[in-house]
Order: sequence, then structure tokens, then C-alpha cells
Amino acid sequence: MKYRVRHITEYKYDSKVNSCYNRAHILPRETLTQNVDTPRVVILPTPTSGSRRTDYFGNRAYHFSIQEPHTSLTIDVSTYITVKPLGNINGNQLGYGNTCAQVLQALNYTVPSIETIYAREFLLNSPMVRTSLQLQRFAEDCFSPQKPFLTAVMDLTHKIYKEFEFDPSVTSISTPLDEVLAHKHGVCQDFAHLAIGCLRSLGYAARYISGYLETLPPPGQQRLVGADATHAWFSVFSPGEGWFEFDPTNDSVPTFQHIVTAWGRDYSDVSPLRGVVFGGGRHQKLIVSVDVARLVRKEDE
Amino acid sequence: MALSNMPNSSDMTQTQSLQAKIKSEVEFYEPLSNTYDEALLPSGAKREHWSFALNSLKALGADNLTARESKTQRILRDDGVTYKSYTERERTWDLDTVPLIIDSDRWTQIEAGILQRSELFNRLFKDIYGSQELIRQGVIPPEAIFSHPSFLRSCFGIKQPSEHSLIFHGIDMIGTSDNNVCVIGDRTQAPSGPGYALENRTVMTRVFPSLFRESQVQRLAMFFQTLRVKLNSLSPDDHLPNIVVLTPGSSSESYFEHAYLANYLGYSLVQGRDLTVRNGQVWMKSLCGLSRVDVVLRRVDDFYCDPAELKSDSYLGVPGLLEVIRGGKVVLANPLGSGILESPVFLKYLSAISQALMGEQLLLPSVKTWWAQDPKDRDFIFDNISRLVIKPVYQKKGQKNILGSQLSEAELTDLREKIRQKPLKYVAQECISPSYAPTWQEQKFAPRPIVFTGFSVAGDESYSVMPGGLTRIGKNVDDQLVLNGQSILSKDTWVLSKEPVRHISLWSDKAKHDSMANDQEQNLSSRIVESMFWLGRYAIRAEYALRLLRTIFLQLNNANQLTDKSYQIILCTVTEVTETFPGFTLNDKKNNTATTLFKNPEAELTSVITDIKRTGSVASNLKEMLNCAEEVKSLLSADTQRVINDIRDDVNALEKTIKADFASAPEEALDPLVTSLLALSGLVNESMIRGYGWRFIEIGRDLERAYQTTKLINSLMSPVLTEHDEDTVLETVLLTLETLVTYRRRYRARTDVVNGLELTLLDETNPRSLSSLLKSLKEHIDVLPSRHQGRLLTIEKRLSLELLTKIQLARPITLCKMSKESDRRENLFKLMKKSQHLLNQLAVVLSDIYFDHTEIQHQVMAASWEDEL
Repeated sequence: MKYRVRHITEYKYDSKVNSCYNRAHILPRETLTQNVDTPRVVILPTPTSGSRRTDYFGNRAYHFSIQEPHTSLTIDVSTYITVKPLGNINGNQLGYGNTCAQVLQALNYTVPSIETIYAREFLLNSPMVRTSLQLQRFAEDCFSPQKPFLTAVMDLTHKIYKEFEFDPSVTSISTPLDEVLAHKHGVCQDFAHLAIGCLRSLGYAARYISGYLETLPPPGQQRLVGADATHAWFSVFSPGEGWFEFDPTNDSVPTFQHIVTAWGRDYSDVSPLRGVVFGGGRHQKLIVSVDVARLVRKEDE
Repeated sequence: MALSNMPNSSDMTQTQSLQAKIKSEVEFYEPLSNTYDEALLPSGAKREHWSFALNSLKALGADNLTARESKTQRILRDDGVTYKSYTERERTWDLDTVPLIIDSDRWTQIEAGILQRSELFNRLFKDIYGSQELIRQGVIPPEAIFSHPSFLRSCFGIKQPSEHSLIFHGIDMIGTSDNNVCVIGDRTQAPSGPGYALENRTVMTRVFPSLFRESQVQRLAMFFQTLRVKLNSLSPDDHLPNIVVLTPGSSSESYFEHAYLANYLGYSLVQGRDLTVRNGQVWMKSLCGLSRVDVVLRRVDDFYCDPAELKSDSYLGVPGLLEVIRGGKVVLANPLGSGILESPVFLKYLSAISQALMGEQLLLPSVKTWWAQDPKDRDFIFDNISRLVIKPVYQKKGQKNILGSQLSEAELTDLREKIRQKPLKYVAQECISPSYAPTWQEQKFAPRPIVFTGFSVAGDESYSVMPGGLTRIGKNVDDQLVLNGQSILSKDTWVLSKEPVRHISLWSDKAKHDSMANDQEQNLSSRIVESMFWLGRYAIRAEYALRLLRTIFLQLNNANQLTDKSYQIILCTVTEVTETFPGFTLNDKKNNTATTLFKNPEAELTSVITDIKRTGSVASNLKEMLNCAEEVKSLLSADTQRVINDIRDDVNALEKTIKADFASAPEEALDPLVTSLLALSGLVNESMIRGYGWRFIEIGRDLERAYQTTKLINSLMSPVLTEHDEDTVLETVLLTLETLVTYRRRYRARTDVVNGLELTLLDETNPRSLSSLLKSLKEHIDVLPSRHQGRLLTIEKRLSLELLTKIQLARPITLCKMSKESDRRENLFKLMKKSQHLLNQLAVVLSDIYFDHTEIQHQVMAASWEDEL
């Protein structure tokens, strides 16, 4: 499946910004199931300097700074991406594989595999996700020692989908998890963080994924929630089996309609843009538009 | 001491004779049982390498030792040696007069141990931010790295420019027996202490010149030489690098040391906002534009160094710095991310790490450490908690270690629960008691607990160890604070040499540095220049206010001569000149407070002098001046520093002295401050290089003087008064401007406003006249570096020319004309107002052109989650 992703971020400032220094996570990474052509990035005003690098988590980070006065900043990224739908599991396969008990045991081996060693980083607290008793309590009925681990995670995904309301009006990026849990609503970032917090509170390794959804699905398929902006979901680690993605906002197992930009411990590792601006006043307006179009080749029709 | 080069020097012979007269024999103490005493054997006999020093000190006698002790403290105070601990306010560093003495055999062991440990920590650093073999091979659990807040993921994989990227290493240790020491911690981010050690040494060699000379003590200079060679070698290309010392600023705990090292090594002392990133390079914003920075000796903690990628609300760093480091265009010493090496968790695994990374056994053992994350360790901690020291894995500023033995049962239960909930965050260590060393306190030798910090610096092939270090001592016999590294009482550390010691000066490699010397002066950062300017302005504000108040106290106490009118005008002048409104104001007749103020002016006058929170008061101006002085500390001479210290003391004592003196001749209390301020201005003129730094102080002073003079003259001389009152106010003006004597000599008894104006405004032979001040101001401004090459005068030159000409062209007679409509001399009033306006404009223009205008930085997104995990 081939997609063209266009992601435009625009900042409008109250007053003149004289310079800015930024780190962006807006270039989709390569994954086992995803091939990415070199993205085209257009930034206005033109940066004084810009550089790409691979970050700690293997994501593509883009650093740029601007030294000319400006009152708006536009970052326009276009990428062509091929997604191999076979890479991930589908719903029918969730009942096989490690049980919850096996997962916990393997994670805590004294001599774990290299993959497990690195997965254990995602078991720890991270800047925006702290484990807690409340999170553990919320999730524990989905898990039991003999239950297949991925089935349990799917149940948790479903539970979040069912009990929480998708409501972009009530939450900012940094809504604390206990607030999300108390008010039972949020946006995709919150649900991903919530699931990760639950999993880590129970002793499982989970990471945060930022990315996109196909904007307009082919006729007959339902349009997914969160398709007009950047999206977020999570993945869990099952020792010996690898990482598996789940999308609590859509109660689904991502297949070929999810495009991965970056992953990390939580949002703070992969925020689309962070940095410092000099000047610009107190307020800024952020406009984001995302378009993910499936490219249909002539011969497929 | 002229005889001091003879054996058995003067300080000995002198005291021997003194001793005959005064029986001030001092005795040693009995060594404490169950502790290791560095100087005394359990029997009480002196260890061999201590006996010469101890006997010499003893021979000096109590009175002499106490005199040397005060001399030590005086020098430290004069040098401005301070340390600000987080729990207390700023304090003068304190140095004990008895050094810690280490013989060469023991030192050889310690030195080898430090060398090995620094090499090990260098490799550990590389492993953590590189291949991570230690966790891959299971030598340490992954959480040891992944859970530590100082593991900076954005620093992962950065290519380091040299084999030894850990440039500095500080190691805290405790002597446990004749042959053993135990390491209790490592300092790897920005180890503070080498500067204090050097200052301690400098003071000791001054206070005990002959004892030091005869003791064959190894010198410290070589260590700094190595440091300098190393930093030079870090240059990203072949040229001699521009090196700066990055400090968090004057409120940092060891700011003294930052300024001291910058000075000693000849580097610029900068703050984050003095630097900027452009085109993939780091630059220093200086008076003459941007100058490239190649190497940063940093004293700012890791996390604060780059708000664009690390702590986003940090104002101490340089946005974009990390990307420049990645590009290899600037090198930090120590490298970012090195903070994680301070994690006590590594102590638990250090032998294994040493085996894995070096294939060697550790020469220096570390304090036994248990990590609550390890289930077995956790059980051990819970069982033995009351005899362990509990430490957070990540120590926040000012956070103290917890001694299990000092907690109640209930507190222990709480602590266990805390550890159970967050086992990753706690380690426990065995409680080792520090060793003891003789200390001169309260007129006798007494044993005090000590902790020694050794330092190493990376050289070409391996590390070099400072032959000495920083020894901190506890205030009391059982002081545990010393273990937290928070004590400010210290000892010089004397490492004895078997051979005679050769003297090395840091300046022996002159040739290399001559080329840099010139640049430093031109390279003053914009912030420094701005501080200089304000240093000048605040000093003059304070001085004028003091002079005026002094005069007014004199006039007030001549009460019978003052009419109501002149009384009011004089008091109003205080408010107008110091700008401490509302204060004494006339127009406001309904205002009862104002009326009461006039009846009892003492409280208001006292407040104008002493209220540090009141803008415009003498105390607040002096405080601001001292803050500016602190910012430019590294550029002030030792004498200047001493005068600054005096002023600080005077300010602190001001309220007391004024209150005590108010009843009689209160003006006397102000004299010492005026004298100190004059001394300061004298030093600026006598001892400062005529560079831009000096020029900006002078510009600040001239500009402020001119401004104050216009206010004074306007307030006192523009109102039309009776002849008698006019005499009084003119006298006040002349007294304040210190020209009364000249006036009387020149014009005899005739007091006359026209003559007064001639002398104070126009007479260019009077250095305090307005035209003299403006002339001098213009001369300074004319030679400032100009950024415009055009033929027209720049705006600052136009302004200074306009100011000077306006005054020069004025005629006293015209100025004195009274107008029919108002009760003031309109011409004079207008000229003074116009001058004030132009002076203000000039100050704004200078600030726009030459000073740093770091705008407020904002985060692209507010990050409330960045607090430590």
C-alpha cells in the first residue's frame, strides 16, 4: 500500500519572533513494515541551518534554527510511504503466543535477551507517564496469568475505547493521567499514555507511537477517528515475539492504515516540535493539517 | 619577613622569644578511640610526616596561631572567597590553619588509585553513551542507566573529540587506615573544588611562608598547566581555541571559583545569554560583534545547558548548543551527559565494571553500596536500615543523606515504605566514619572529621592528578555535614615530596598565549559591558544621595537659619534627587502624610538611606552596584575587590549605624561609605586598563553625575526665593557638589545665584561642573567602536555633542532671569529638563547599540513534565 502524507504545521505569533531553535519529529521513520522515501521538507522562513539525524530511539529528528524576524512559521512535509500490511498481526492471531505470566517472567530474567534488555527501558516511568496504583486497578481485570498476553492488551484497548470519550476540546497535550482517568475523556495522546501507564503499572513494557491515519478510506470502509491530525497509539513488548501495536482511540489493531512517524517512551520523546523562540509574545496560534492519501496505481484498478 | 629565607625562619624565632614572655603553650589532644587519626598514632605520638609541621605550629604558641587564623580569614575575605550553600546565605570560605599532610608513599597509592578510577569512569562514560556493552553483557542491569534522570538520551552517540572525553574528575574519599582510603562519591559534571584548593594554597603560603617552604610540599600549578594544554588540544581545528568558562551566574554556590579559575587561566567568564548559536557555531556576543567560541569549560549542570533540547525553561544554557556539539564545532568540558556517572548505583557494580572495561582490580575501594532495586539488596536494606546511610540515586540540590541511626521507629517505617514504592530511587551505604585530623579551633588543637576530594584532569595519554586537593572539615567533632560535601570549612592539603620541589609558574608557556592576550580585552561580552555601565551609574547614584543627605543633615541641625520655605525645598530635593517618591512633596497640600513627614522627617530620611527594598534609596543603589560588581568580578583587581567588600560590610551595618547616630551628627555615619565609594572610583581610575570595560564605567559615572547635577540644580536653584533662602539653597548645592570652598575663595562672601551657576554649570576648570562632565562623556563616546562607517555623526555622538553645546552656550545671567508668570527661573528649568531628557535618550541609545538584548525566551510548548522523574 502506498501513501502520500502531507503534514503542514503553522505557528502564528502575537509579535515578531527574532530567532528560534527547534527539534522536530515530523519525518516518518523506517520500520519493519514501512518503507519511507526521502521526505521533502519546506520551512518558511528558510532556516539558517538545518540538519537531520537519527535519534536515540531510531527516529528521524530534524533540527533547524531561524535567525530572521518572522511572525509565522510554516513546516510543510511531504512523504511517500509504502506500508506492508503483513508485518503486524490481525485480530485473529491475538489468542496465540505468550501468556501474561510468561511475559512477566521473561521480562524479569536475570540474563535477558538483548531485545528484552532494551525493552525494559519502556517499563520504567517516563516524563509524562508515571505508574500508579489507580492505573493498575483500572487495568488489572483485563489481565490474568494464563490469559494470552495480546488478548489481554486488546481487552485493555477495548476497555479504554468503551469507557472513555474522545473529546478534543477538553485536553491539552500535557493533561496528567490521573485527570484523564477521573474525567474519562481525552484525545488519542491521552489514551495512548493511559494504556502505557496501565501496562507499566502491571509490569509490562509499552511504548508510545506517533503517526498518521489514512484520511479518506476507500468506499465501504469507515473513516477512522483522529484522521485529520497527527495520531497516537502504543505498542507492547512480548519477549521472543516482538512489539505489537494497538490503537485505543479506534479500538483496533493497526494494520495498513496507520503510518508511524516516531516512537519513544511517551509524547515528550517524539513531540512534533520542541524548542525555544526569542520574542513572539505570550500567545501563539498553532494550525496543523494532515492529509494521508492512498495512491492507487493504474494497474490496480 | 626579611629573614624568612633563613632556616629556622623568622616566624619561628620570633615566636620562640615571644613564648618566653607569654606562656601560651598548646597541647595536642588524645586521639579519639575507634577512629583513624591522620596525624596521631593511637598512642598520641605524632606520625613521622606530621611531626615537623605540628611541632612548628605548636612552637608558634596559641596567640600567634590565633593571629594567623585571623590573618587567614582576612585574606579570604579580601579575596572575596565565598561559598553559598543552599541552606545558608552566602558565607566567606573558611580555611583551617593546620594543613592535611600526606606523605609521598601514601600519596603514590592514592594517585595510582585516582588515575585508574578516572580512566575507568572515562570508559564507563563512553560505554553508557556508546556501545552499552555493560548492559548487553549483563554486568549491570539496564535500569541502572535507563532509570537515571541524568542519562541524557539526546547525548547518546555523540562522537567525542578525544580519547579522554571526561576531562575532569573529582573523587571524594575518606582515610580508613594507614594504607587504605575509601571512595564515597565521584564528581563528574562540573567538579567544583580545584579553584578553592588553589586559593587555599595561595593563602597558606602567605600566612605560613617558611613552614611551607621547608616542608617540601608538591606544587599545584602543573595540574592547571595540564588542564590548559588539554583544553587547547580540544580545538575543533588547528588554531588556538577561544575558551570560555560558562557559569550559571553570580547566584551560583561556587561562583567565586568560576570567576577565580577564569581569571587564573585567562579565559572569559560567560553566562548562557552571552553566547549564541549561529550557523552551526557557538559565538560570544561582545562589544565588537560576535566572536567564535571553540571550547567551553562548563560549570552549568547538564540538563540546563540547552533549553531547545534539554530542560526547556532553563535560562542558564544556550539554545541549539547540543546540535553544535554533535556537529563537532564546539567541545564542552566535561561533556554533556557526564552527570550520570555520579549515580551511586555504579558503586555497587564498580568492581565488576572495572573487570569488564579494564580487566583490572580496583585500587581504591568504594563505600559498600546496596541498591533497593535488587531484591536481595532490598531485603538487606530493610533488615539493616538503622545502621545504613540512605541516599537518593539522583541527588537534588541541597538534598541530604538520611542516617538510619538518627530516625525513630515510625520514621524508619515511613522510609521503608518510600523505598518499597520506588526502589529504583534509593541506595543504601554502609556508615563509614570519616578520619580525623588536627584542626586549630577556639584556641586549641582539636580533632575534626575530614573528607578529601582529589582531582584529576585528562592529559595527552592518561590522566594527571592534582598533588593535593580539597579537604573539607566538619565544624564539630561529630559533624556529619562534611559527608554531604556541604561544609565550608576546609584545609589546604600538603602532599610531601621526597625530592626538593621545583617551582612552576602557570605563565611559563607565555609565547603561546601572547596572541590571545589582546583579544580578551576587546572581547568583553555585552553583558559585562552593561554591568560596567551600571556599576558606574549606581555608584554615583549612591554617592550623590549620600553627599546630599550629609549636607542636609548639616543644614537641618542649623535649625535657626532655615526658614520654612528653605526647609521644605531642601527636603523636597531629597525626594526629587533620589527619586524616592512620594516622599517629601509640596504641591499636594491635602496630603496629610506629607505634612507629617515635614514635621518629623527622620523616619523618611532614614528610609531613604537604609531601606534596601525602596528603589532610589542609598542602600538599594549600593545593593545594585554590588550586584553589578559581582557580575564583573573576574575583571576587578584585588584592591578593588577589597573596597567592594568594605562597601558590602558598610551596607549591612548601615541601618544600625544610622539609628545609633541619629540623635547627634548623623552625617558622620555616612562618611565611611562616601570614602569607600571614592576609593572605588580612585581605583577604577588608577588601576584599570583603559579598555572598553573602564570606558563604560566612566560613561556610566559621567552620565549619572551629569543627570544628578541637573536634578540637584533644578530642584534647589530654579525656584525664586528670598535672598536669605537663596543663600541657604546655594550653600546646599555647593556643599553637595563639594565646591563651597572654591566658591568662597573665588567670590568671597557674596553668595549669588549667577556666580553659583557659573561655577557648577559652566566652569571647565571645575571637574564637577556640568560642562566638564559632559565634555568627558563626549570624549568617551567619541572613541567607542562604531558599527556604521558613514560620514554622518552617529546618534550617540550627536546626542553627546548637543548636550555639551547646549550647556556651553548657556549664559548664567539669562538662566537666572525670573519670569513674571511663574515663581521659578524658566530658562534654567527648561535647560535642566532638556538636558535630563537628552541624557536619558543617550542612555537608551547606548543600551540599544552596545548592550545585550536577550529577549525573553519561550518554549515552543510548555513542558510541565520535565521535572526529575
